[in-house]
Amino acid sequence: MAALSLLSLLLLLLLPLSLLLLLSLIVRPRTVKIPLKNRHVLVTGGSSGIGLAIARRAAAEGARVSILARSQAKLEEARQAIRLATGIDAATFSADVRDFDAVRRAAEEAGPVDVLVVNQGVFVPEELAKQELDEVRFMIDVNLIGSFNMIKAFLPAMKARTDRRPASIALMSSQAGQVGIYGYTAYCASKFGLRGLAEALQQEIITDGIHVSLVFPPDTDTPGLAEENKRRPPLTSIIAGSSGAMKADEVAEKTLSGIKSGSFIVPCNFEGHLLAIATAGLSPQRSYIMAFVEVVGVGILRLAGLFFQWNWYSSIEKWHAQSKQ
Amino acid sequence: MAALSLLSLLLLLLLPLSLLLLLSLIVRPRPVKIPIKDRHVFITGGSSGIGLAIAHHAAAEGTRVSILARSQSKLEEAKQGIQLATGIDVATFSADVRDFDAVRRTAEEAGPVDVLVVNQGVFLPEELAKQELDEVRLMIDVNLIGSFNMIKAFLPAMKARTDRRPASIALMSSQAGQGGIYGYTAYCASKFGLRGLAEALQQEIIADDIHVSLVLPPDTDTPGLVEETKRRHPISSIIAASSAAMTADQVAEKTLNGIKSGSFIVPCNFVGYLLAIATAGLSPQRSYTMAFVEVVGAGICRLAGLFFQWNWYGSIEKWHAQSKQ
Repeated sequence: MAALSLLSLLLLLLLPLSLLLLLSLIVRPRTVKIPLKNRHVLVTGGSSGIGLAIARRAAAEGARVSILARSQAKLEEARQAIRLATGIDAATFSADVRDFDAVRRAAEEAGPVDVLVVNQGVFVPEELAKQELDEVRFMIDVNLIGSFNMIKAFLPAMKARTDRRPASIALMSSQAGQVGIYGYTAYCASKFGLRGLAEALQQEIITDGIHVSLVFPPDTDTPGLAEENKRRPPLTSIIAGSSGAMKADEVAEKTLSGIKSGSFIVPCNFEGHLLAIATAGLSPQRSYIMAFVEVVGVGILRLAGLFFQWNWYSSIEKWHAQSKQ
Repeated sequence: MAALSLLSLLLLLLLPLSLLLLLSLIVRPRPVKIPIKDRHVFITGGSSGIGLAIAHHAAAEGTRVSILARSQSKLEEAKQGIQLATGIDVATFSADVRDFDAVRRTAEEAGPVDVLVVNQGVFLPEELAKQELDEVRLMIDVNLIGSFNMIKAFLPAMKARTDRRPASIALMSSQAGQGGIYGYTAYCASKFGLRGLAEALQQEIIADDIHVSLVLPPDTDTPGLVEETKRRHPISSIIAASSAAMTADQVAEKTLNGIKSGSFIVPCNFVGYLLAIATAGLSPQRSYTMAFVEVVGAGICRLAGLFFQWNWYGSIEKWHAQSKQ
């Protein structure tokens, strides 16, 4: 009897261990470390919010930092803020990411970049039935097309770089790029789109030693969020409230850690990790340990996801029932 | 001993049965049947390929069919083809989905629609490093913005419909909207984007009893595909071959079945089902049996997804090594 229990216990241990071993052999692309110190980091949307926090942290870690944004005045303010905090002088470039020629000129001026942080983003919440198509196009243009413009402009020099250490392209997505949220049809479309771009792009540039990271913050305490909260539909707040808000600096820290470890998916908080496992799908996973967690945990998290749907759709039902009275 | 085995067997059965019961209680939105007979089905990209096949099938099932496309002559051909095959006269509308005013005029002409099939799509495979941004913008404009235009134009009449039976908005995505593929950065971005749109939109219009379906075909035998395979990179073909191609007719059948059963995710072949389970993420699942399959199977499917990555990145590595010689 004891022998039988011992045997079954051994088998029970052997299964996960075999899985772990298997995963350590098959995870692709292979793990990589991407150093930041003394390398060129360029951050779009870098004059405020998450972008500014990333620029500040990167500078503090010894990187050569460039920030890109539209407003010359905000860029100056940001440059001074970074100098005050770190003593480092960041280079500034004024351009609208929707304007490819301007972006290309910025790329020529800025010179080769080792870590490209494509972080610009706009978010205008509204039910699609009520939203102006101008706002829809605005979000798709800035968040998605703008990212294509940035990559097109900066990729050639990254591919041709003389410093053959691993390089990085990080795209700022959002938890709204992992799950659809009431009032965010266009924002979700743009952020889900970034993932399609990232998964395909990683396959195309892996041979150049360039590694793609997709960062997924929740609501983050920024000037952008303050504007957004003013006009959110109530149901959006109810549903988005399912995940705790974070500080821009915390998101910046997670972003840089994710970039340095070459992670494809970079969650920023606990709920984000759960979302990442639930939505792992066909994304590459470079850490065999995370891969193990995903294989073992995705079932439970799908169940959790279904509970979320139950909760959200009930809230929607209830809200509509109440508003009819 | 026998009692112990029997007990453990019972427990082993009890677990999945409890899960099944739990899921039957929590799946949201609730299941729905959407009749199409004698109702108005409107199909974009309806003059060829998958759209034309859907029009044929829908007409044969006794629905009132309208097709939209750009070319008046291809619309005429399609109309005659359906006349010959089914005896039904379809209404034709000529418009470019990128032109919202034209789409709005079409919506006014066409009258209220019960099942809107947003199926138009263009695909121009190329490594992003080599692709012209015009092509990137074309794919995002037609596949993504065009879909927003269609929904904006047709949704008001759907919300205000007098026939209060369930209605449907079906979006034609692709397996390239579930996993990134070499050479398809913009196409994947547009198709992943459709999912973000769909997940958010379903929350916004469930109270109007309008049900969103996202159809996910593999390579489908159409005039579009013929053009596409001429120009796509060998690696793209290697990766796309992971899923068997289908005929437009088979995809049309799956599409209509998915619409009629109100399914949110509509896979079209076996690999498509695996992909759907792997990428279930936080999508709503209206069938508790499918939900059960997802919870139980997601782990294995994630493992399969990781094997796909191992295979694909291996192919990429090998191809580049060979091309260097």
